[in-house]
Amino acid sequence: MWGLPRLNQKEKIMKRFALHLALMLVALGLFVQGASAKWTSDMKEGKAEFKSMGPLTFGPDGILFVADTKAAAIVAIATGDTKRATGANLLKVEGINQKIAALLGTTADQILIEDLAINPISQNAYLAVSRGRGPDAVPVLVRVKADSQMEVVSLDKVKFSRAELPDAPADAMVGQGNRQSNPRRESITDIGFLNGRLFVAGLANEEFASTLRAVPFPFKNVAKGTSVEIYHGAHGQFETRAPVRTFATFKIGKEDHLLAAYTCTPLVQFPVSELTPGAKIKGKTIAELGNRNRPLDMIVYQMEGKTYLLMANSSRGVMKISTDQIDKAESITARVADKQGLPYETIASWTGVDHLDRLDSKHVVVLRRVEGGSLNLEALPLP
Amino acid sequence: MMTRIFKRMFNAKGQRVNGSRRQPWLFLFVLLCPFVPLSLCVEKAQSGAASQNQFSIRWTPDPTDAGRVAVEVSGLSDAALKRLRQANWKPPQWQRLLSVYAGQGSDQSLPPMLGAYRVRSGSLRFEPQFPLEPGVAYRAVFRPDQLPGASGSKAAPITADFQLPPRNTTPTTVVSHIYPSASLLPENLLKFYVHFSAPMSRGRIYDHIHLRDEAGQEIELPFLEIDEELWDPAMTRLTLIIDPGRIKRGVLPLEEIGPALETGKSYTLVIARECRDGAGNPLKENYQKVFKVGPPDREPLDHTRWQIQSPKAGGRDALAVTFTKPMDHALARRVISVTNESGEIVEGKVELEDQERRWVFVPDSPWRRGQYKLVIQTTIEDLAGNNIGKPFEVDLFEGVQRRLASPTVKLSFEIL
Repeated sequence: MWGLPRLNQKEKIMKRFALHLALMLVALGLFVQGASAKWTSDMKEGKAEFKSMGPLTFGPDGILFVADTKAAAIVAIATGDTKRATGANLLKVEGINQKIAALLGTTADQILIEDLAINPISQNAYLAVSRGRGPDAVPVLVRVKADSQMEVVSLDKVKFSRAELPDAPADAMVGQGNRQSNPRRESITDIGFLNGRLFVAGLANEEFASTLRAVPFPFKNVAKGTSVEIYHGAHGQFETRAPVRTFATFKIGKEDHLLAAYTCTPLVQFPVSELTPGAKIKGKTIAELGNRNRPLDMIVYQMEGKTYLLMANSSRGVMKISTDQIDKAESITARVADKQGLPYETIASWTGVDHLDRLDSKHVVVLRRVEGGSLNLEALPLP
Repeated sequence: MMTRIFKRMFNAKGQRVNGSRRQPWLFLFVLLCPFVPLSLCVEKAQSGAASQNQFSIRWTPDPTDAGRVAVEVSGLSDAALKRLRQANWKPPQWQRLLSVYAGQGSDQSLPPMLGAYRVRSGSLRFEPQFPLEPGVAYRAVFRPDQLPGASGSKAAPITADFQLPPRNTTPTTVVSHIYPSASLLPENLLKFYVHFSAPMSRGRIYDHIHLRDEAGQEIELPFLEIDEELWDPAMTRLTLIIDPGRIKRGVLPLEEIGPALETGKSYTLVIARECRDGAGNPLKENYQKVFKVGPPDREPLDHTRWQIQSPKAGGRDALAVTFTKPMDHALARRVISVTNESGEIVEGKVELEDQERRWVFVPDSPWRRGQYKLVIQTTIEDLAGNNIGKPFEVDLFEGVQRRLASPTVKLSFEIL
């Protein structure tokens, strides 16, 4: 009489369904765990040390890549920030440089925000911050949560892995005993993750060369990372080794491409498949975006079935570039009187944007300078 | 009372008695009992005792590190300290009780500083996560009404200010040298290196660097402006790269706004004193480099035409190499080395003389008789960025093929 009450057919079906669902969830959990372990199994847990923090980008499973220019290294951090966003809030922090300065116990003029990256899973914003401007500046990773609350990400006990840049200059000179330290440094201008490879664009402060490295992730065999030289046929058939300022990954047809914006304005595309060790690649210049202008940051997004590039730059507001004709675009090799190539429109009201990253399918987060030197972090609808 | 509640809920064997299901509040109450009554007690005790005079805030510098200064609040009762120890608070709760504000005075509209809170015997201590900055005014605010259980208390906050002595604001840093040293430079000059006498600050450096023509007119955007700015690790040397778009023939910016430098004209590179050094001070004075521009140099480097003057064995006389034209200062210092017969690198000091036309090497140990080699990385550049075997500006299709595959070239010499 104390046994289980007899279940009717409907209840049985429900129970069976619940059991199957539970098993599926467990299996899914194991799968997700397995997929996650694929990226983090080589990581160690401990204190992630940084000499500096520059460009940021997110990889899979909440893994944040941080470029440490001073140490000539890239550090992958498993942030553990993998709780999916509810999308209920839109980021907005006014005077974020002053607020970060207050958190770090200093004044806003001693804060430099080096880069911004949005975690595509949690939609939390991550900022690479320099506390101080001199040689003793301290790098700090700041997280702005979806509810706009800020915190410093502790790196004392995290899972991380580290890739020293191939051919990176040693801190001390070898063979010239009088030289206390090597003044050469390679600035990392942008990083991006695609299909298990991290792309790193760099520029040295001595020899003039544009380098783009492809480092396989998880970081193994990094010593043999790929280094390529990219040439683009500028007008008049002269090659340019100018450094890549920012880049985005982009599919043309079925093939992955990198779209690189150079410091002297052209937008150049080249297939990722050509990035093999030691390769010398000739990119295709697909747009000239005018001079007296520097590209600062770039994202790719889709809207109403079309794909656009959104580029922040130093003097023309934010550019929205249509990619409709990108697969048919001819390389620009002749001299042009003005802008040429892919059509674009300027979002003139988006002034002072230094950095941007996509928040979701409808929004972009920008870091913009407003009057008085204050910086605002805000989510805006994609144009 | 607690015992009675337990007896009503559980039998002698510890099993739940039937009636207790109908009184979930009783169970909840039992769970919360250890905290609720105490909190009630605290409220009473604190509101009576938490007078403003009872507490004091002290800034306690770390004798071994000037920037490390902690805040200590004393005057808390043992019971209050015990409750704080057990509070298991999150940072916002601690910050409501004790916070430190940087440079905000009484405004405090910005968040407080981050740091660690420790309850010690006799005091509550806040250790800022970052060292305090010289000259910045810090204010510690302790709010007794935020002590656990002190809700309703009317005790006013107490504050204590602290400021490290400001840094010396007398400008002392100067531009010590600008390379290239020559006063006649090619039209397609690629770089300047600006050396400072002390470490500098980063951020908006290009605002304070100007290139002016003979009429004093500013040349618009002559340099490649890199956000990160191209400093060496010590931050005493800044690399200024002239925008390739202002040098190269046929590149768009050059077509529109012309070259940055033109043959036959004179220019002045100005490093304005508004550049900030590492201590935040301006430079002692403006620095100007006046130079004249000659024809462009599009010839690749030919190392075989360099002249080597070998010293004698047994001494530490200098080995000198005379180039056919001035070289890039940083690269010429770094990418040339000397190896002995066994291929080992000879240690020594390198200097560049005669406006970077002459490379001079003094070994740490006396020279020995034998065959030596000068090993030169082909990435060495002249003032226009031409490499060994490759000019800076080459035809796109030919140029890529024509590059030298070898990363180094060698020149032999003998010490007798």
